[in-house]
Amino acid sequence: MEGAVAKRKVLSSGLTVSQKVFVRSRNGNASKIVREHYLRDDIPCFSQACTQCSELYQSDNGTVISAVLSESPSSLQSSNIGRHYVLLDTNVVLGAIDLLESDSVFFDVVIPQTVLNEVRNKSLPIYTRLRALCKSDDKRIAVFHNEFSSSTFVSRRSAETINDYNDRLIRTTASFYSDHLKSTGIKMIYITNDKNNLELALAESLDAMSLEAYIGLLPNSQELLDLLPTLRTDFSRSGTKLKFPDYYSTSRLLGGIKNGTLYQGIINISSYNSLEGSISVSSLPKPLLILGSENLNRSFSGDTVVIEMLPRDKWKKPSNDIVDEETLGSSENADNDDPESVISDRERRLLTQEAVKAQTSGNDDDRVFPTGKVVGISKRSWRSYVGQISARSVDKTQSSNATRSVFVILMDRSLPKVRIRTGRAKDLVGKRIVVSVDSWPANMSHPEGHYVRTLGDVEDKDAEQEALLLEHDVEYRPFSKNVLECLPKEGHDWKVPEDLNNGDPQLAKRKDLRHKLICSIDPPGCVDIDDALHAEKLPNGNFEVGVHIADVSHFVKANTAIDQEGASRGTSVYLVDKRIDMLPMLLGTDLCSLKPYVDRFAFSVLWELDQDANIVNVSFTKSIIKSREAFAYEQAQNRIDDESQKDDLTKGMRYLLALSKKLKQKRMDAGALNLSSPEVKVHMDSETSDPGEVEIKKLLDTNSLVEEFMLLANISVARKIFDAFPQVAMLRRHASPPQANFEQLNEMLRVRKNMAVSLESSKALADSLDRCVDPNDAYFNTLIRIMATRCMMSAEYFASGNYSYNDFRHYGLAVDIYTHFTSPIRRYCDVVAHRQLAAAINYEPLSIIHRDKTKMDLVVKNINKRHRNAQFAGRASIEYYVGQVMKNAESLEEGYVIKVFSNGFVVLVPKFGVESLIKLNTLTQSGAAKFDEENFKLTFTTEAGEEREIAVFDRIKVQVKSVLDEMTSKRKTQLVLV
Amino acid sequence: MSRFEIYSPEGLRVDGRRWNEIRRFECRINSHPTSSDGSSYVEQGNTKVLCLVQGPMEPALRSQSSTAQGSLIVNVSVTPFATVERNKRPRNDRRIQELSATLTRTFNKAIVLKNYPRSLIQVNLQVLALDGGLLAACTNATTLALMDAGISMYDYISSVTAGIFDGQTPLLDLNTIEENELGFLTVGVIGESEKLALLLMEDRVGMDSLEKVLAIAIAGSHRIRELMDIQVRNYGKHKVAKLANQ
Repeated sequence: MEGAVAKRKVLSSGLTVSQKVFVRSRNGNASKIVREHYLRDDIPCFSQACTQCSELYQSDNGTVISAVLSESPSSLQSSNIGRHYVLLDTNVVLGAIDLLESDSVFFDVVIPQTVLNEVRNKSLPIYTRLRALCKSDDKRIAVFHNEFSSSTFVSRRSAETINDYNDRLIRTTASFYSDHLKSTGIKMIYITNDKNNLELALAESLDAMSLEAYIGLLPNSQELLDLLPTLRTDFSRSGTKLKFPDYYSTSRLLGGIKNGTLYQGIINISSYNSLEGSISVSSLPKPLLILGSENLNRSFSGDTVVIEMLPRDKWKKPSNDIVDEETLGSSENADNDDPESVISDRERRLLTQEAVKAQTSGNDDDRVFPTGKVVGISKRSWRSYVGQISARSVDKTQSSNATRSVFVILMDRSLPKVRIRTGRAKDLVGKRIVVSVDSWPANMSHPEGHYVRTLGDVEDKDAEQEALLLEHDVEYRPFSKNVLECLPKEGHDWKVPEDLNNGDPQLAKRKDLRHKLICSIDPPGCVDIDDALHAEKLPNGNFEVGVHIADVSHFVKANTAIDQEGASRGTSVYLVDKRIDMLPMLLGTDLCSLKPYVDRFAFSVLWELDQDANIVNVSFTKSIIKSREAFAYEQAQNRIDDESQKDDLTKGMRYLLALSKKLKQKRMDAGALNLSSPEVKVHMDSETSDPGEVEIKKLLDTNSLVEEFMLLANISVARKIFDAFPQVAMLRRHASPPQANFEQLNEMLRVRKNMAVSLESSKALADSLDRCVDPNDAYFNTLIRIMATRCMMSAEYFASGNYSYNDFRHYGLAVDIYTHFTSPIRRYCDVVAHRQLAAAINYEPLSIIHRDKTKMDLVVKNINKRHRNAQFAGRASIEYYVGQVMKNAESLEEGYVIKVFSNGFVVLVPKFGVESLIKLNTLTQSGAAKFDEENFKLTFTTEAGEEREIAVFDRIKVQVKSVLDEMTSKRKTQLVLV
Repeated sequence: MSRFEIYSPEGLRVDGRRWNEIRRFECRINSHPTSSDGSSYVEQGNTKVLCLVQGPMEPALRSQSSTAQGSLIVNVSVTPFATVERNKRPRNDRRIQELSATLTRTFNKAIVLKNYPRSLIQVNLQVLALDGGLLAACTNATTLALMDAGISMYDYISSVTAGIFDGQTPLLDLNTIEENELGFLTVGVIGESEKLALLLMEDRVGMDSLEKVLAIAIAGSHRIRELMDIQVRNYGKHKVAKLANQ
């Protein structure tokens, strides 16, 4: 990058324009960019003490700017500085954002625009956090647009690097503030962690210091020092031995990606083996493997990395071993230091072709997998992690509170240990703590981080729950004030207006359906009722069926604070004993909830169905309903079965049931899949709220009654909104699974059971799954379904413009188009679908945020991620509670082998829905075993001396117990072979 | 999320302007006196457009002549070096064709064409640099060049773009970065009135925010008309002085 001399031109209105010229290289091409840059004199300094800037604060088209920096800021008694503001450098913000967010330090802060831009380029999440901080009143943080202010802008010198230039811009800002505030007696302290910059600043006689020095001057410095990020101290290359190869230079990476010798992608590290990563590369049909810590080269799972393919002789089979961080010796990969052979670009490209060949060849003998190594990291996926201090790394004999380095083991097993420095190591042992990762220099075997906060004791229910939410990135903090202000002022007293002709044009468009006999059927204890149904027989013999969905979009208008919060949460998260709501309680459980006996606003889908449940016509309307009764599944079932009940409501329910059965049959005929997952429910003891027992979920007819009509509503709505908004309709698709996913399952079935599943169509798959029956084992079919489910693609939300109509298909439900419409209280997709449907029926215009394709793409991406995280969090919560249940009850259960490795195998216990690994070294002393990969069979000698054979699909007896994992301090179920 | 803060909470845009400020506007009239009957050069920020007008003249083709009124042809060509990535556009580029069609339609109504029966007026526009607001700059350049050629027009057509940020804040006179991020429209305003000779919107602007966007765009166009008018009058004075000297 090169700077150019910018000429300035004075414009009439106190504006000066200059040109910013720089060279950008994107895709390896250099291109010259010229941008205009306007400098102005009307940017205030934001200090309340300053008198010169007072007339510059004015409301400007809704954005009100006012002085935020306090007139009497805090002062440092211990030094000669006194009252002061602070100005932060980029490295401080990036490293110490946690500190900045803490409410005991950093008030009256100036963030120069240069810093803000640098932060934004380096890390968008930290930028968002910083911006949120600027908004809050009590922190008093101001953003000063120094690059647009004529008094602080300096042009870039020729041959000045961008970093030096930015540093100089920031220093100029600091010196501007010192001069500007001289009359007020307030000093500006410039805090930077960059040594060179600090020296330069001191040479320019600014009040500058490092973050550590500043914190040291504060009265509460002791607690704060722990929160400091570890500084990357420059190490001499010759002195310390490099543990990892250096990354390539940026230009080499960009050039390599462009000419096809390097690849970029998101790395995914196996949760079974922390030394095996895989990465999907567009030019290869299957993911590329990355083996060994040296080749993984400091990448975290989820990072966007650049990789280089390894020469052919280093291609390998994916390991059939299980490697944990704990089993890793220090001397692994000692053989990797052979002098690197030089490969030309041409040869590298040939290598790619060979790799494609190797991946596609069906020949089992030479089935090698191309491997690669990480040569650069484009984007880190670092966030805050939950873990606990490794007790082994703490020296218990030392009594002083001196700061020491300790290791933190993260809960996510695919991640490495993090080294932190803390003075309270002994207090922190046995606690769940949050750490954040700062850096991973090449001479360190582990990344460096710093302590953020403590959640609580390991195994403490609340701490574990919070840890779980943090790990899955679930926002669980209470709703903010802005959000709550969007709720109706009447609160719980809000009522449907008595007079429907009160002049509100939207109210007039609502249909009054209060005379219909509507009821809701939900799980017992459900408070957020988002759907209700009714059915009645029409004179012509057909049925009128209505599905009524809570009208959330009436209360949550697009682009309000509550809408943005809902969009960012994406979904409610259901844990075993806790629900994290997407929308505030008032809406979810009261105003929107279709409670019985009261009037509620709803969005209704009304069909006329014939005797065979074919749709004669469908209409959509906003409505007012009054639910007659809220049933639990079982209650509803009993009422339908009770022949003495002859009232209209029960009759309606019987019609619904009959129709739903026909709908289900039609769906099954079309090839809908009946998949399984080992879902269990944890019963809580109502008094102690301790988990009692575990039970597999039961399904009643009424479950499927509700489900069928919800599916029907979703499909009808999907068609309607796609019709109205072909580019941006919010839909949900489920891609057909690629053949490759089923390869292993089919191979196992063929070898072990002489069966197969067909993938030709969802119908063929459904039928072939039905055929996978073991006459001696009723559970076998379910087991295959569970395993097949895992081979499936996951369903995803999308905006209709991104796929062609043929790809809209929902494979699992065997319908051509689908969306989510029926649970707006707990899913954001449904809220969007509601708004789009409302616009499609001309109820209200659609907000721009749901009409703009790029904005929709962002929404979709987020809700897909949130949906996945919510599922994982829910499962992890069940896992935790199952572990708690087991603690008191060990038992002997039946389990099935579902995967075999060369040094262990995975067993699923249907009764508890748990699966766990049994390692070979727990079974046999010698560790010797014969692994027959082709037949998925493992033969070994047990400690008792008898020979045992374990193969996939075997039914075995295992002892189930719960143990505390020493490494992660997670309680998990352990299975012992008997 | 965009790479840039399009509109910061402090109320500043990517290039340091506020919401209602137009970019640097500079124009010259009669820039190429020898090679054309009328010419102009317009810079709107970093968008630079050169306009040459030939005519009124006898059309080369019979089909171009009409006894009732004159005919107008607008050609636009974007130079390969106008954009950041150097690329040559074919003459029949769809966007360019649409642009010339839009300009033709606009000026068909702005020129008193009935004064020029059996004649052809040809407008050639060269885009030298492109940084947003292409149609607006072309419209302004054409207005000035037509005036220079002495072709009778009803009034100035002054043009500018305006977009909407987050459905809340209208932004005036967008540059490329902003154009890529926001929904925007281009207006061409007739003289000092609030009548529109041109309104082009290629992506969406919400119904509820349209009024705000239009209001600021019209105000911006008036400002541009003023700046053009100053230039035209200066040039006129200069020309009269020159004639008087002779």
